[in-house]
Amino acid sequence: MADKSTIHAGLYKETLLAGLWRENPVFRLLLGMCPTLAVTAAVRPAFTMGCCVIFVLLCSNIVVSLMRNLLKPHLRILMFTLTISTFVTIADLFLKAFQPKMSEVLGPYVPLIIVNCIIICRAEACASKNGLMVSIVDAIGMGLGFTFTLCVLAAVRELLATGAIFEVQILSLLKEGGWFVPWAAMSMPVGAFITLGLLLGVVNLVSKKRS
Amino acid sequence: MLKIKYFFQQSWLLILASFCFGLLIAVANAAWQGGILQNEEDKFNNLARQMLPDANSFEILTESIEVDLGKGKQKATTIKKAIADDGRCVGWAFKCEGSGFADKIKLVLAVDAGFEQLKGFGVLASNETPGFGDQIKLPFYRNQFIGAPAEKLLLSKTGDSEKIDSEIVAISGATVSSQAVVDIINRFLPQIKSQIQTKGLIGNGG
Repeated sequence: MADKSTIHAGLYKETLLAGLWRENPVFRLLLGMCPTLAVTAAVRPAFTMGCCVIFVLLCSNIVVSLMRNLLKPHLRILMFTLTISTFVTIADLFLKAFQPKMSEVLGPYVPLIIVNCIIICRAEACASKNGLMVSIVDAIGMGLGFTFTLCVLAAVRELLATGAIFEVQILSLLKEGGWFVPWAAMSMPVGAFITLGLLLGVVNLVSKKRS
Repeated sequence: MLKIKYFFQQSWLLILASFCFGLLIAVANAAWQGGILQNEEDKFNNLARQMLPDANSFEILTESIEVDLGKGKQKATTIKKAIADDGRCVGWAFKCEGSGFADKIKLVLAVDAGFEQLKGFGVLASNETPGFGDQIKLPFYRNQFIGAPAEKLLLSKTGDSEKIDSEIVAISGATVSSQAVVDIINRFLPQIKSQIQTKGLIGNGG
């Protein structure tokens, strides 16, 4: 009995950590590139997007896992899409009601979570083949991995574009008597591509060294 | 009979899930709709105040104004009268909407007291393509409407965007969104103007 619970704990730990590093959706699987590039101009919208993705991933994994034995093979993608779009609509309504300014900043990228490959990938690869607990842990791991990546990317971009992180001024600006000259390009799409490329390079370097 | 049985055997889960998910969305919508509408109203008032800075308060017009959207569809519109400190009317603001490139575009349109000049428009809601269609929110495009005559507007692909007249210069790469805004204004403005004139709220010369 003790062995079984140890095996389970090990499986959960491995599943949780997979999303954070080994199978990180952005750095290793290169999934969800659209929001990764589009909403990472600042940390706040990136964090909000990450939270929305965690909510949708968690709810869709739970529902898909619960109905996995009832799914007809030819209807499974349709069922996944239906499930995902329901929770994305709820997340969108929630933001519109309680975070109207953030909803406006994120614009169409919240409804676009429906087509975010991470969610359908986890429904297909994990939730439709595993029990409830594994699916929940997988959703949390993948969601946290995605949110963490988005926040790192956004922190680099926001710092270089404005000298602030989470709207808290870190570097003293030249126009205010300091030394830092804001790099406006970092808040534009070009900044997203450059930062993502450099971070992917760093991650690959670290992975190579570790292996 | 066998075909119907086969259909239900294959799709019962889909039908049940559609019903349950639909119910879930309906419940969430019912619970948060009040807040969403209130946020929209606050945004409307903020945008209207920016376009009509002399306004101290807004009074909702009690008379019903309906706009013909074509194909037999009618839309009731709320018109707000902008009142200055001294009680005189300094303009009008109303919501208008229509199809954009990606989704419905909702605007706030402000005009002067006599319905002669536009005071500008603000975007209440739009899901236009980021980087292209969403440039309708930018000053380059919006400023062309401030002071333009409150009559039929025309969209042109080239021209001087700083010249204020009834010709609006489109945003490069977003002609559909630019045209959508002009079409929305062209549909709502003359109909509302004529109904307000008919009700005697502004002069016929206006």
